[in-house]
Amino acid sequence: MADSLLPDIAGDLQLTAIDLNLVLYIVGIIVIAYLLVYVLSHILVLISERVGHHRTSIAMIIPLLKILIYAFAIYYIVAAILQPSFSQMIAFAGLFGAAVGIGLKDIFLEIVGGLVIILEKPYQIGDMVTLGNSYGEVKDIGLRSTKLRTPADELVSVPNDTIFNQPVNSGNAGDIPMMILIDLFIHAESDASLAAQILREALVTSKYVIVSQKYPYTVLIENFPFYTRVRAKGYVYDLRLEFEFKSEVTRRTLAEFRRLGIESPVCFPFPEGIAN
Amino acid sequence: MNIPATPRLQQAMIGYERELKEINKVIEGPKTAAPPHIAIIAEPLKGRTTIVDEISRVHGDRVYRITLDRVMTATSMPDLSPGRDRIILIDNCEFLATRKIGGFDLLNHFLKTQVGSKNLFITTWNSFAWQYLDQVMNLGKNYPVQITLPRMDTPVIKEVILSRYGQGEIQCVDEGRTERSHWYSIVHHETTLPFIGKEVTVPWITLNFSVMRSRLPGENRVQVSLEDVIFEKINRIADGNPGIALDLFQDSLEDHTISPRMIRENDCSLSLDINESFLLSLILSMNCLQSSEISAMVGRDVDIDRIIYRLLHAGIITEEEAHYRISPSYLTCVAEYLKRNRRVW
Repeated sequence: MADSLLPDIAGDLQLTAIDLNLVLYIVGIIVIAYLLVYVLSHILVLISERVGHHRTSIAMIIPLLKILIYAFAIYYIVAAILQPSFSQMIAFAGLFGAAVGIGLKDIFLEIVGGLVIILEKPYQIGDMVTLGNSYGEVKDIGLRSTKLRTPADELVSVPNDTIFNQPVNSGNAGDIPMMILIDLFIHAESDASLAAQILREALVTSKYVIVSQKYPYTVLIENFPFYTRVRAKGYVYDLRLEFEFKSEVTRRTLAEFRRLGIESPVCFPFPEGIAN
Repeated sequence: MNIPATPRLQQAMIGYERELKEINKVIEGPKTAAPPHIAIIAEPLKGRTTIVDEISRVHGDRVYRITLDRVMTATSMPDLSPGRDRIILIDNCEFLATRKIGGFDLLNHFLKTQVGSKNLFITTWNSFAWQYLDQVMNLGKNYPVQITLPRMDTPVIKEVILSRYGQGEIQCVDEGRTERSHWYSIVHHETTLPFIGKEVTVPWITLNFSVMRSRLPGENRVQVSLEDVIFEKINRIADGNPGIALDLFQDSLEDHTISPRMIRENDCSLSLDINESFLLSLILSMNCLQSSEISAMVGRDVDIDRIIYRLLHAGIITEEEAHYRISPSYLTCVAEYLKRNRRVW
């Protein structure tokens, strides 16, 4: 098999004379590929926004589509310039990969990272993730980087190879609802059971909550030396409303605490303590 | 074309005979220390009250009936201790709980009373409110017998509607622009799941061979009943809900005449913000609400007057004696929209 391929690979490559037509052809392919990616991505984003809780499944077609379109574009450009045979094309792909691997190691690693993200799905478009030092909603998974929209509405590009050397935290793992943790602290002498009941009712009556067997909720009490922590875990029906959900439940609970005389602690925990 | 009359006998019960039989079986069953309380669960306009009326009629003096027509408070709650060996029939139990902090106290109190009573409780619940309360406070565990009213198929819907009219009272017209019937119909079969024994409704497609034949070349003379075309369209819009179907039928009538073209279908492409969706989910779950009741649940930070105005203007809700309810013609659209966006579960 290898013997039969060798003469074919070793055969002369027919390099097409580069003229204006060829340049226009290549530019045309690039423009068409770009426009196709742009239009199809926008259509898929529009569709995904309309289908409710299947949003992420549709959005995940976008990166795959990008890779396919750009791969076809590269194939047509190479074929137009070199007119290689099938064996030459495979050999060229191997050599190109090796050259890229040696010379552009970082970019190559990022592209491989992109492929791993698409195939293994450690996170998906629409997920709320922590990548490196950034937290936000995944807006796009490109060949080289992943774009996150942070809670401060900043667009952050994180290289795809981050998944190889840093942990990835996904708050919802491809689903639209996301578990939210709400911590409130009350005075050690206050009625913790009443506080827990109020927090529970504030949680389940929130306009942002979803409760089911798949999305359960719980309220926990933990006593500390100078205060009592009341913690609620529940799901927001759309991860984009994470902060609104937290804020609404906290605001209504605190108002009820005040009304019923449940006091705030004198000593507050450090922020690190809140995160634990 | 005149529609033939259907006997008026038992007209209201058409389609729910099996459910009534099941309820009567429980009522007439042996008395136990812990009566098997019954929950009748259905979407708005699906016929809960009709079933309750029939139970009242059949069991007469044994029945102590309470109809809740607004959100209950501790002071407005009716007496639940009418004596021994009674059937306590409570319609619209969704009014026992509200979606706010402290809004479950009355329902908890009611459930405690029910658990401690030797009387049989038959309660009716809006299915959306039931689903919410079941997830939030395990409501279902208080009711050993749960009866969910099924979707009705087209022939039953047709019978339900026509039973309200006399012979020849309604005329179907073609207007020369008859819409064609679908070559398939969706019917719903009840089936019991293995192992867990739970009953579910499975949608099933049946083929309308006469319609298929009529579409073949050279078979143009095969006639599809105009009545069937009309009721198929009505039931497709009503999604098996007899209340919506009846409302749609009555709205489409002009001088006791109906044609397929006169049956108007709403545009279901709703676009609602979070507060509008929440408000609609509350009204959908409670059947009807007053402005003050909505305000207590939505909160003071939301301008509900503006939302109500917009929803009224769009025809999605209607106002009747200061009570807001979802317009029957929008009921299916709204429920579908809210389910799709997980505002109701």
